[in-house]
Amino acid sequence: MRESKIDRLVKMVNQISLNMSSNGPADEVAMQVAEHLEKFWSPPMKSLVSDYADDNTVGLASISHKAVIQLALMQKGK
Amino acid sequence: MLEFYEPQLDFGTPQSDSETLVTLIIDGISVTVPEGTSVMRAASEGGVKVPRLCATDSLKSFGSCRICLVEIEGRRGFPASCTTAVEDGMEVRTQSDEIGKLRRNVMELYISDHPLDCLTCPTNGDCELQDTAGEVGLRAVRYGFEGDNHLVAEKDESNPYFTFDASKCIVCSRCVRACEEVQGTFALTIDGRGFESKVSAGQAESFMESDCVSCGACVDACPTATLTEKSIIEAGKPEHSVITTCAYCGVGCSFKAEMKGNEVVRMTPHKDGKANEGHACVKGRFAFGYATHKDRITKPMIRESINDAWREVSWDEAVTYTAERFKAIQAKHGRTSIGAISSSRCTNEEVYLVQKMVRTGFGNNNIDTCARVCHSPTGFGLKTTLGESAGTQTFASVAKADVVIVMGANPTEAHPVFGSRLKRRLREGAKLIVIDPRQIELVSAPHIKADYHLPVRPGTNVTVLNALAHVVVNEALQAHDYIAERCDTEGFNKWVTFIADERHSPEQTEQFSGVPAADMRAAARIYATGGNGAIFYGLGVTEHSQGSTAVMAIANLAMLTGNIGREGVGVNPLRGQNNVQGSCDMGSFPHELPGYRHISSAVTRKLFEGEWGVALDPEPGLRIPNMFDAAIDGDFKGLYCQGEDIAQSDPNTHHVEAALKSIECLVVQDIFLNETAKFAHVFLPGASFLEKDGTFTNAERRISRVRKTMPPLSGKADWEGTMALANAMGCDMHYNHPSEIMDEIAKLTPTFNGVSYKKLDELGSIQWPCNDHTPAGTPVMHVDEFVRGKGFFAITEYVPTEERVNRKFPLLLTTGRILSQYNVGAQTRRTNNSEWHGEDILEIHPHDAEERGINHGDWVGIQSRVGQTVLHADVTSRVKPGVVYTTFHHPVSGANVITTDNSDWATNCPEYKVTAVQISKVTAPSSWQARQKTFDTQQLQLLAKARQ
Repeated sequence: MRESKIDRLVKMVNQISLNMSSNGPADEVAMQVAEHLEKFWSPPMKSLVSDYADDNTVGLASISHKAVIQLALMQKGK
Repeated sequence: MLEFYEPQLDFGTPQSDSETLVTLIIDGISVTVPEGTSVMRAASEGGVKVPRLCATDSLKSFGSCRICLVEIEGRRGFPASCTTAVEDGMEVRTQSDEIGKLRRNVMELYISDHPLDCLTCPTNGDCELQDTAGEVGLRAVRYGFEGDNHLVAEKDESNPYFTFDASKCIVCSRCVRACEEVQGTFALTIDGRGFESKVSAGQAESFMESDCVSCGACVDACPTATLTEKSIIEAGKPEHSVITTCAYCGVGCSFKAEMKGNEVVRMTPHKDGKANEGHACVKGRFAFGYATHKDRITKPMIRESINDAWREVSWDEAVTYTAERFKAIQAKHGRTSIGAISSSRCTNEEVYLVQKMVRTGFGNNNIDTCARVCHSPTGFGLKTTLGESAGTQTFASVAKADVVIVMGANPTEAHPVFGSRLKRRLREGAKLIVIDPRQIELVSAPHIKADYHLPVRPGTNVTVLNALAHVVVNEALQAHDYIAERCDTEGFNKWVTFIADERHSPEQTEQFSGVPAADMRAAARIYATGGNGAIFYGLGVTEHSQGSTAVMAIANLAMLTGNIGREGVGVNPLRGQNNVQGSCDMGSFPHELPGYRHISSAVTRKLFEGEWGVALDPEPGLRIPNMFDAAIDGDFKGLYCQGEDIAQSDPNTHHVEAALKSIECLVVQDIFLNETAKFAHVFLPGASFLEKDGTFTNAERRISRVRKTMPPLSGKADWEGTMALANAMGCDMHYNHPSEIMDEIAKLTPTFNGVSYKKLDELGSIQWPCNDHTPAGTPVMHVDEFVRGKGFFAITEYVPTEERVNRKFPLLLTTGRILSQYNVGAQTRRTNNSEWHGEDILEIHPHDAEERGINHGDWVGIQSRVGQTVLHADVTSRVKPGVVYTTFHHPVSGANVITTDNSDWATNCPEYKVTAVQISKVTAPSSWQARQKTFDTQQLQLLAKARQ
């Protein structure tokens, strides 16, 4: 069965977090993940995952959740 | 660069590399040449031609024909000028009565056993034997023609591209030596002794039955009509030539397209081409017939739906129709509901225009390129660690390498001309480490044997690279001074702590990679301590869920050992297509503008906005997989796809087809109705590389000219088609020639600031960066410092792929390429290259085959988690147990029906190289193949209606 839009994005964020997980302390990694998303994701993808993380942590790894919250702040700061 | 046809200048013997100069007198002319130069070459450089037959400057001197005899003051006899080295003060005479008599005597013997059919011979007027007979003044053959001879020797016409006519052979061994020295295949030999001596392919086999790889080096080297291109036999001698660049792999060979009118009759590798230096492969040299194949579509076509017949229309109507539909989609679904995909088969100028049209005409950044699915991890990984998204060397640099690592690449199949260079260096004694799941040719070939083959389990490259670095660090073999001077200290210290951890040791990682720990330790030691270490890698590194990690691990390893920044070392991605490097350079990714500058940079945007006259969207657009997902979700409705066959080449075919069917207006620009075009609503006829001007940038960052040899069959080169569409979309694009596009690229891109067509014509080719600091280009990058300043050691944690084997899918499928075919095969399948590879087959180890009752040649079903296809089995130990392998050159094979959506964590490059599968014996094609056949037939019928 096809994954939903948000399931796909959550999976992608988690994959990025996992691959960056050894880069340093959790907060530092979360910032790096957020910067990666900011740099490479299109606005609708960023918005969707940010909106999701506002109300949910389901499926998002801890670092991923922190990263998406950080991403939302970056978006708001523009 | 149009020239009347002339054979390329031949100096007789190779150039000497010596820096010591020697001056001598030849026929009264003072000549100064490097020490080690032959008298023959010195004479040529001084403007004196010495007659010869067995000598040519691509081969070491041989001294067998005895035509090139000269007199040297103070020496007895008549030394052969090809085998005699120059000496300071030497006085040489190349002409005298005695010499003339000797040469005529030798020539008489040759001609007494040669058919005198010059007027009807295919190489009449282009034959060194004929020329030499003239040069020595042969007027009669005293021996007559009735004696024993070879005039009735059988002709071998088995090869589709050239013939071997033994009756014309003078047994000079040039073909045999070319096969050995230039190509490195050793397929030819001289069989027999004395009068019985003859050139033989393999064990007295035909050329097609032998190990011959049809590179054509023997044909090029032959001084008679013994080895002759069939195209020349049919068409005759060319009358003019145009220097251009091959449109196949990322080696980017330079060729002389030899023409009769608008017809290419021969492609001859250009000796001055720095990427190939006069060598070629079976694709570049011979497989150009697709350009005029009957399947070419030369008129624009449109249709409402993919179930409708195509209708041929004018360019104006096609472009207007497309623009109206795209604008209507944007009006209804928003600015970001359309986008484009460009191709690495197209020129720099073409891909530049496509991204410009998207950013200025579509008003978004939904532009991606096929490099997404091959080398996007190279861009990410090398930019992160070294600061530039490109390889560091020239191909020629490998001649100075002492230890070579080839990882996830198969150069003798996929980059054959570089493969021959590499083999030459290996025969000279360089060490070789192959890291690959398969036993590629370099592991064991004539006169080549890899010192270490690390048969890594697919998906575990990072564990091997980390283990190699672990050994270097823990055995203190790193280049301490280099790291201290050139690399970021904080990053390095952090990385050393990471990599020194025991979990990265060969002994710990063996459980993942399957590579014996002792071999990893030994390989690490020779790479770190064996002198110049060079790494060449391919898609077997990038096309993984950890592709970017592996690229960074390669860069780490090279920096750790001080192997970046000079000749003979480096990190070298072998690019699959001709212009992968260029398409990436030209801003074809959705997040960056030309020159790898991020779209979010206000300074960069301002520069482009000033030139282009529109405001640019500061946010990244969609990548190719995002486009597919968005199409299925209903958010992405219009796609312009130039020169790329995503339906065949992208993973998870079911998913791609669903996406294409969801698109309301799919525009395909291609030379054939490719698989993607069967889902299209607009077809814009493309131009082959022979029909347009432009530039390609090869894997060495070498920018080379592509020159038009014939008018575009459709009336427009691709850049003209894009320009027409862009203007219909509201852009204001007016270029009269691609040189104007390059001028704009140079103006806006610091690494291209010094590039122009004029300079390319003067220098032949240029490796970027080319600007005020490096006006002639940059052969080796990162010489004094890295582009990013200090080299960065990235942490490379191994995260296993989610694609795991289990009881249901116990084998790992990996994919690759074969010599005679190119990528999706659209070009090579329409040439005689299909005689070597008419179908894709599945390689399976005898152990795995036996367990499943599979015999060589059986039909086997390949089932993955996402699909099934059916291929014939090749039971072979080239793959190790647990691994199966196939190529993807034929659409009907459906190789990508079984590959999954998994992708690289950083770039979404698909994980083509790791798919868990089960193999079973079957008797019929898969259901997808049956459907594909029906769909294909239907689409060809709809095409036929357009042509009625």
